Amino acid sequence: MEIRARSRKVQPHQRGRVKQLEAEAEELRLQRKRLKAENQTLETLKKLRTSMNKQCTDEEVMQMEEDSEDSQLLQLMARHTQLTDLLQAHHLIGGYDIIKTRQGKGVCVSVATNYEGVYLDTYNLEIDLKPKLRISRHNIPPFIPLNSLTEQCNLQSHFRVFLDTLSCHLNAFTGRKQQLKLVKEQQKSVEVMESNVLCSLLVLMLTVSKGKPLVLCTLEYADHTSCLPTRVHFECEDKQLPDSPEWKKNCSLLIKTPVHKALMTMKTMGHIV
Amino acid sequence: MEKQMNEEENIKEVKMLEAQINHLRAEVAVLQHQQQEMHKDMTFLFRGQMQDALSYTCGQRHAGDREKVMSKLKEEVEELEGDLKQQAQMNGISLNSCTIKTLQSSGSKMVQQVSVSGHCSELVFQVEFELSEVKQEGQRSERTVSNLNVVMDTSGLQNLSSFLSGVEESRDLLTFFRTLRTFSDRCEERYRTFQHFQEKYPAIVSLPGGCRSEVMTLGHPELPSCVLFVYWSVDVSTDGKVTPNINLLPKIPEQALQLFPSLAQSDTTEAFQSLLRILGPEAALESVIGAVSLSQDT
Repeated sequence: MEIRARSRKVQPHQRGRVKQLEAEAEELRLQRKRLKAENQTLETLKKLRTSMNKQCTDEEVMQMEEDSEDSQLLQLMARHTQLTDLLQAHHLIGGYDIIKTRQGKGVCVSVATNYEGVYLDTYNLEIDLKPKLRISRHNIPPFIPLNSLTEQCNLQSHFRVFLDTLSCHLNAFTGRKQQLKLVKEQQKSVEVMESNVLCSLLVLMLTVSKGKPLVLCTLEYADHTSCLPTRVHFECEDKQLPDSPEWKKNCSLLIKTPVHKALMTMKTMGHIV
Repeated sequence: MEKQMNEEENIKEVKMLEAQINHLRAEVAVLQHQQQEMHKDMTFLFRGQMQDALSYTCGQRHAGDREKVMSKLKEEVEELEGDLKQQAQMNGISLNSCTIKTLQSSGSKMVQQVSVSGHCSELVFQVEFELSEVKQEGQRSERTVSNLNVVMDTSGLQNLSSFLSGVEESRDLLTFFRTLRTFSDRCEERYRTFQHFQEKYPAIVSLPGGCRSEVMTLGHPELPSCVLFVYWSVDVSTDGKVTPNINLLPKIPEQALQLFPSLAQSDTTEAFQSLLRILGPEAALESVIGAVSLSQDT
């Protein structure tokens, strides 16, 4: 009696369990089928991409076409992935991204900046193509001489020259800004006394050693397309100090090396704290 | 008894199914792993038309689908081709291949190995670098280029070499390509000018190193021993500033120099520099060529 009672209870449960498991197995089989098919497609696309990169001979392409009825579609898919990658590469290396706006009546161009491998701010220009090439909107900082740059280069015929010049200015500016940021982060003993928005003037207070007079270091960046200063000047109560050989060396170091790096070297040399 | 048999069978079946499921799970895991690995080797973005195409190639096909999937994907590919063409024109750079491999992908950090090859006018290049992207809360993600490696055939491009070695250290991709572009533009200008003069004055102008070289020689056919060398170099500083330099160097026989000391080199060179400043390269060269060819009539 007891056994019967138990089996009666268990049986429907077991049967349900079987059904559940069968369903699960079926689902897994479907998943396996889908994954296999997907992996095969990916494998084929990979092969096609490799041969595209090598610019394979027509023979190989022909072979592909015989191999699979979907080859045309696969070719298109491979080209799609290639184009996507190439566009991504342009984005990384070119510096200018272009997007058509208003049904081709205008374009939006973005100018990327980077310094020492780090991608920094991106600036955008909205440009009307018709009736005349004209910048309609932009977010270039006002202290970048956009107007005189557009006048210097003939936008119509030398648009890329204009972009190159603009990119030069923007990269140098963001580079100087990044240098200033790095100085503030890395050199706790160096006090930034003065700097301007264009980062073309930088006044730093340097500590030689405790008890000794401080050195006021002025860096002027007259060439706005460069990350390096055009003039370095020291001021100190100890009038002899700027003329000492080691500070003359520091001066030439600051002229040739980005300021955050130069300060690092001066610190290791023991010229500043 | 019968029920007991059923029960036993059921238990057997359950065990068998469980074993099957375990086996299938393992298989699926292997396949998923394979797929992940393939995604690391190549960037597949299956969205929109690509997703439909993938579903189709993976067997989810219905009547009439093929044409629809094909034409829609084709449309998208053509659009991308257009974008690429426009982008290449904008950047002044043509790319022929690009491979992106994922080296590391964990939570907020992703590291990719990017290898790109292409050309900027006549200059062929290959660059490789690591791109790491760190996602930051509430800020745009920070992208950094490291381990930059530039491969270029610099034979005949000594002017670029010091800049190239500096760029690998500074990892400044944008400056590299901007400089490459400007350098290539300046070289094109020289090429066009040299070619123009050779076509216009074939008797006077010769290009011993070809149209793309730095040297153009000017000489009168009746005075083969007197030659003017025009050296037009395009110099690139370590920080990427491109400056063309044009110099005129006369080659005059010793004897003539002894007779006419005023023909000394420095005079000609200096005079040419002031011509350059006033007239620009093309007009300055034109007037020198004019002077050389006019000697015929006098």
